[in-house]
Amino acid sequence: MRHLLLIDEAEYEIGLVPAPTGDGDGAYRLLLGDEIIPVSLEGTVLTVGPAREKVAVAVDGNVAFVHFRGRAHRVEFRDAIDRFAKGAVGGGADSIAAPMPGSVVSVAVSAGDAVHAGQVLMVIESMKLETAIKAPRDGVIETVHVAPAKTFNKGAALIALQAAE
Amino acid sequence: MSHHFPFDTVLVANRGEIALRILRTVKRLGLKGALVFHAADKGAPAIAAADIAIEIKGPSPVAAFLDAGQIVAAARAAGAGAIHPGYGFLSENAGFARAVAAAGIAFVGPEPAAIELMGDKVRARKFVADRGFPVAPSAIEDDDPASFVERARAVGAPLLIKPSAGGGGKGMRIVRDLAVLDEEILRARSEGQRYFGDGRLYVERFVENPRHIEVQVMGDAHGNVIHLHERECSVQRRFQKIVEETPSPALTPEQRKAICETAAGIAKAANYRNAGTVEFIYGGGEFYFLEMNTRLQVEHPVTEEITGLDLVEIQLRVAAGEVLPLTQDKVPSKGHAIELRIYAESPARGFVPTTGKVLALAWPEGPGIRVDSGIAAGQAVTTAFDPMLAKLIVHGTDRADAIAKARAALRDTVLLGCETNTGFLDRLLADPVFAEGEVHTGTLDARPDIAAEPALTPAEVTGVLAAAGLSLRPTRDAADRIPEIHAAMGHWRN
Repeated sequence: MRHLLLIDEAEYEIGLVPAPTGDGDGAYRLLLGDEIIPVSLEGTVLTVGPAREKVAVAVDGNVAFVHFRGRAHRVEFRDAIDRFAKGAVGGGADSIAAPMPGSVVSVAVSAGDAVHAGQVLMVIESMKLETAIKAPRDGVIETVHVAPAKTFNKGAALIALQAAE
Repeated sequence: MSHHFPFDTVLVANRGEIALRILRTVKRLGLKGALVFHAADKGAPAIAAADIAIEIKGPSPVAAFLDAGQIVAAARAAGAGAIHPGYGFLSENAGFARAVAAAGIAFVGPEPAAIELMGDKVRARKFVADRGFPVAPSAIEDDDPASFVERARAVGAPLLIKPSAGGGGKGMRIVRDLAVLDEEILRARSEGQRYFGDGRLYVERFVENPRHIEVQVMGDAHGNVIHLHERECSVQRRFQKIVEETPSPALTPEQRKAICETAAGIAKAANYRNAGTVEFIYGGGEFYFLEMNTRLQVEHPVTEEITGLDLVEIQLRVAAGEVLPLTQDKVPSKGHAIELRIYAESPARGFVPTTGKVLALAWPEGPGIRVDSGIAAGQAVTTAFDPMLAKLIVHGTDRADAIAKARAALRDTVLLGCETNTGFLDRLLADPVFAEGEVHTGTLDARPDIAAEPALTPAEVTGVLAAAGLSLRPTRDAADRIPEIHAAMGHWRN
């Protein structure tokens, strides 16, 4: 089985299989491109081929944070089927997500309002920088998910538009 | 008890790394540490370190820390005889300092009058200039319109013409040759008129590639003032410091002496007591007074490293009425210290703040390495407060040694679950512009390549994918479901 992993948003396809008996417990093979690489992870020691190196890993659901050679990376698991499913949905920009974490300064619309593309729907603030959240298309507001002074994380849903006809 | 403090409990009116750092000294001196905290900081190490922690509330977490009434009430409830404000929040609020004093509590900071003087930038500049200290030469048209051109010429080149009503850089003109001064003034006036409906101008000396150099000062209630050397803080983004060091790589020993003595002179003229920082703009061998910060600075640890002094201890002793524990000639300056501010932010995406839960945390250790941190594993990083998570401070025999130590320490800093700027800091320290000490306040704007995240090498990709693949449940479980014999035969392709 092939898996799709994202390192800091860049996509990689890998396979992972147990090593043949004789390599010892915890030995695997990483399949990357046309390479088959012996790998294992014991505590904080990562073995890749002949090289043993220190690594730190923390897992949160389908995301692994990996500290390797002095840099931290976010690796997200997304199996290959997911990718096709996502592609099929297409540009249905019904939900407007927060481009960065911050708080709501003001909200200019409420549910049921008709809006036109480019209209300012709300103003958010992130580190004293104000950003206007604009309508991606003409439509009608379905839900306003956040109120003034509310804080939110990156990617949080701010406003939903009624589905386009 | 080595000394007798007139108070036995100190309330820290702050949070994060600085609250923990102040509490450390308070407890070392045999005093009790009280802390105010907001629920947004649940799980923060400072709360656990305090002898007494009192919750404060507000419409927002920041508002709670700006509520003088709640903080003074908390100090009373904790039996605190002194309040240390840290930096930010109410630390430079004269009204707060007065309210604390009125409650019979010692304010660990300067007199309210000094806070007011230095808080008014125009008054502060005039105070400093009137006493003969260097401020950037300038000429304001409104002072005497008839003599404006003549006074502008006296400022000298290079100079900057600005519309009095201006802002955002509109209508500003740099004049490098005084021969074109008259014609540039005409043009600036017309631009000011067009942009702002106001043609009045002022002129000030333009400092090319300016550096930010500041001097730590400390005064007591007996008229003594000393300086504790300078700090170079030129590496900035959005006017916020990222890296600070001492000594400054820009100054000759003579310039160093001159800038430090000027700072001490300004503090003495202001009859200043407790800790303060005099900030200067420096360029082309000249330095000018910028402003004075009337509190402990974020970057005070580099000064502590090269002097071996505990600035918070001196602050508490001075607030208790003691004489400064040392005279100017006894202030050491040993080796080189660098502080790196670790921010929850993404340098590659324009330094926007990042959030997340701290899943794993490991700080570097070793001789010459100090970490002032306010976070713990399991804590959530939110946008409720400033994105600074911790400070990494290194002390080396010289600048090259300190840079090498800092880079090794950065690579050993493990903070997983929330993106930080540690990779960027390492690239910055590795860049020749930093190694040669050639930074100025515009360096990061001029060099966006330092902020850009470099591509991973093939070996890094393999290592990261291996570590993640072996740790993530779906990949590991899928592998463990495959019988070994099939794996050996290559059936994984199905």
